[in-house]
Amino acid sequence: MTPTTNSPLTEPPEAATDRAVPLLRVEGLSTEFRLTSGDVKAVDDVTFDIYPGDVLGIVGESGSGKSVTARSIMRMLRPPGQVVAGTVQFEGEDLLALPEREMRRRRGSKVAMVFQDPQAALNPVMRVGDQIVEAMTVHGVDKKTARARAAELLDQVGIPDVPTKIDQYPHQFSGGMRQRVVIAIALANDPALLIADEPTTALDVTIQAQILRLLARLRTELGIAVAIITHDMGVVAELCTDVVVMYSGRTVEKGTVEQIFKHPRHPYTAALLDAMPRLDDDLTGRPLPAIPGTPPDPAALPPGCAFEPRCPFAEDACTHAPPQLLEIGDSGQTAACFAAQRGVEVTSVRPELTTSVPPRPAPPTDEPVLEIHDLRVDVGSRRRGLFHREPPVYAVDSVSLSVSAGRTVGLVGESGCGKSTLSRAVVGINPIIGGTVRVDGADVSAMREEDLKRVRSSVQYVFQDPYASLNPRRTIRQSLTEALGIRGVGGPELEAEARSLMEQVGLRPEHLDRYPHAFSGGQRQRIGIARALARRPRTLVLDEPVSALDMSVQAQIINLLQRLQNELGLGYLFIAHDLSVVRHLSDTVAVMYLGRIVEYGDVADVYGNPQHPYTAALLSSSPVANVSAPERERVVLRGELPSPANPPSGCRFRTRCPVGPLTHPERTICAERDPQLTVTAAGQRAACHFAGGD
Amino acid sequence: MTDLPLTAAPAATRRSLNPTLARYLSAFRTPRGVVGLTILVVMVLAALLAPVLFPGGYDQQGATTFAGPSAGHLFGTDEFGRDIFVRSVYGLRVDLSLILSAVPLSMAIGTLLGLSGAISGWLGAGVQRLLDVIIGFPGLILGVCLVAVLGAGWFALFLTILIGGLPSAGRLARGAWLSQQDREYVLAARVLGVSRRQLLVRHVLPNAMDAIVVNGAVWMVVGVYIEAGLSIVGLGVQPPTPSLGVLLNNGLRFVVQSPTYIIGPASLLLLLAVGVSLMSDALNEAVNRR
Repeated sequence: MTPTTNSPLTEPPEAATDRAVPLLRVEGLSTEFRLTSGDVKAVDDVTFDIYPGDVLGIVGESGSGKSVTARSIMRMLRPPGQVVAGTVQFEGEDLLALPEREMRRRRGSKVAMVFQDPQAALNPVMRVGDQIVEAMTVHGVDKKTARARAAELLDQVGIPDVPTKIDQYPHQFSGGMRQRVVIAIALANDPALLIADEPTTALDVTIQAQILRLLARLRTELGIAVAIITHDMGVVAELCTDVVVMYSGRTVEKGTVEQIFKHPRHPYTAALLDAMPRLDDDLTGRPLPAIPGTPPDPAALPPGCAFEPRCPFAEDACTHAPPQLLEIGDSGQTAACFAAQRGVEVTSVRPELTTSVPPRPAPPTDEPVLEIHDLRVDVGSRRRGLFHREPPVYAVDSVSLSVSAGRTVGLVGESGCGKSTLSRAVVGINPIIGGTVRVDGADVSAMREEDLKRVRSSVQYVFQDPYASLNPRRTIRQSLTEALGIRGVGGPELEAEARSLMEQVGLRPEHLDRYPHAFSGGQRQRIGIARALARRPRTLVLDEPVSALDMSVQAQIINLLQRLQNELGLGYLFIAHDLSVVRHLSDTVAVMYLGRIVEYGDVADVYGNPQHPYTAALLSSSPVANVSAPERERVVLRGELPSPANPPSGCRFRTRCPVGPLTHPERTICAERDPQLTVTAAGQRAACHFAGGD
Repeated sequence: MTDLPLTAAPAATRRSLNPTLARYLSAFRTPRGVVGLTILVVMVLAALLAPVLFPGGYDQQGATTFAGPSAGHLFGTDEFGRDIFVRSVYGLRVDLSLILSAVPLSMAIGTLLGLSGAISGWLGAGVQRLLDVIIGFPGLILGVCLVAVLGAGWFALFLTILIGGLPSAGRLARGAWLSQQDREYVLAARVLGVSRRQLLVRHVLPNAMDAIVVNGAVWMVVGVYIEAGLSIVGLGVQPPTPSLGVLLNNGLRFVVQSPTYIIGPASLLLLLAVGVSLMSDALNEAVNRR
């Protein structure tokens, strides 16, 4: 194959792929988990090919069988998992039929795998160089050659200062760098195929952009075929040439990336693409076309099409037998849907674009319900010892924000930027060192007993992880009653209130006596919201409320939040790293970097014309689930977030800034003076000496 | 796999029953729980009813000494011709009264000590150091010290078992408190405005309870061993009052003349340990079931 020179991220090189012989041919692969409670079909009759130079995206939600597929191919299933049918032809031989010894020889040398969590994939007590060397010596390379190759590989995956780094331990690497090391290990034996299982899910968006770029480069430079397993349609659109969409263990649709994104043929794919909020969102304030319901339990799949209960095109035939994966037209695109196979256009038009939606009700008053001024939060002195005190670490440093009733302020930034610390300080979990917090106009910065009372009756918190934020030992009724009791609800009202809360968040009141484990992630998040509402707050702090949820459920929760805001006039402080979700929900957006707000303004202004280079970088790093989007200018940030314990002098962003001293050495002001948030020409405020410039 | 379907959710427990209590009670529906409970109930009943079952008392002497097991004397007779089975059942009274009073009390006090950190960090740290000192004394040494102060007898044993159990309960409770503190559902309760006391009672304690209840069951077994150990060296319950330890002590002396002497009391001790262990296993399983 010929490596292409143009950007691989936007232009999949058609000519580069040799369509004659597939590198990997998976046919009729079925994997079951033999449990005492019965067999669970995790992967059911999955068929696909990967040709040399392809980047195949296997997309699906949790439980869709995408990871099990990868493990089945690699024969890395652990009991009770078992491949029950199918073949995996790799370079002409069936991997599933090989003896284990032979398979071991191919694993890592011909087919390599990259896992989601680079922290877990590396041995913490072994130098990274030795780990790469080991990957080669087990396949018979001598140590000296392997060592030289390891250095070469580290350089290839973009690790700076290789001679030093090669002898360091994994903990001396940041998350993104660790993932690069894992990729280096995978590449050590020149594999023909790289299987990457959610390689960027654990990483921040700017780091994700770096890793995606690296994967794309590997493909063009080394001609490696990549199978990438992901739940993120944006990643697929950016990186892949072909797509397999999985739902409940089955392939529901298969085609090239253009086919899938431009003309999805399966209702699930179509609905999923529609339900995702977009960076160029034009629906602000309007409900997303969410997919109703939740993915089925793998242990109790419906007899027919697994998507049938949620499908707007469902018909009687769908309930009897699952549809076969058949070609639609003569495009080469296949879909497992009776309606699509009959020629029905399943691509749903966003209904709310055609029907008129009443404009968003104006908030009753523009009254600020939560005001933060010059807030500083110290997270360092918590770790104080008996005789020494750690130096202060200001995870939040002079931040000001204001949330009005009925309005949403979106707070975005990478992990470690201080957004969660800020939100927790507001509700009195993290101690405030300086600045003021006003709730409903009253100063509560001291967080004394009576201040806390006021905060807690007015500001409530919705946590990110719906699995961790509910006490597993307490029924939903107990959890809600606890909250209602503090509000002073008692006696016969308690039952009525609890039931109405359940209804308010779209749950059945009959389920009050169930334990959290009986609910799915989306339902648990609804319970978390109900519990917060039980105190009748005026402000909700939403800490990544949808990021732990399956993508087909996210839109439901987003719509719920929007409906509640309209009905109750709540002010939201919405924290997220997903820029498109923030765009959809927010009126105002604050971009945070290393404890500071670097840009603050109206959501349309900030997204439309970012003034701070960090905002611009974040926006261009976010994968967009749209293959026909006009080519964006990409700013891929170098390096990673510095430690808040030791922030750079002057502008905190200067060490990574694409317009700062890194590229313009004459701009010394960036290292000398700390830029203040000032109003820019574009309207919003930005903290940059060269705002809007390049 | 990841999520249970709603239909497969266990039917809600009857509203009248406290769900936490119901959880513990479900231990007695497993085979292990049933067997353990049966062993314990039979032993407690036997101990309670000993004066009724054996109105002759434990000191009734017979003609034959060192008799082997027979239908009349299940465990044989001792050096004075006393029935060892009768003495063992009376001996159970001592052991059961010790562990059933000292261990729950020890666990309760230990838990409170462990949670003292919730009042102030300094108090919590100080209490832990105090518990460290107790750990420094092995059970038997602690017993010997207490006997030196209080004199041998039931009360010294009681205190030994009580004090010896404090560190484990204290550590477990503190561990639970520390780990629960940063759980999101505890934070959620704090944000709701739940008081510190309720936070401990509703969210921290139930999560500490499992470990502490199981630990208590284990400590009961250890308690029997402490009693036996101290009695073997003659610092426990004083003869002629029998306890399992006293009987073992005597049996050891005559182990060459009459090897069967020791088998009866030892097997009762073993049975008690097995009963308590099965119970603790069943409880552990029940409370950790999701």
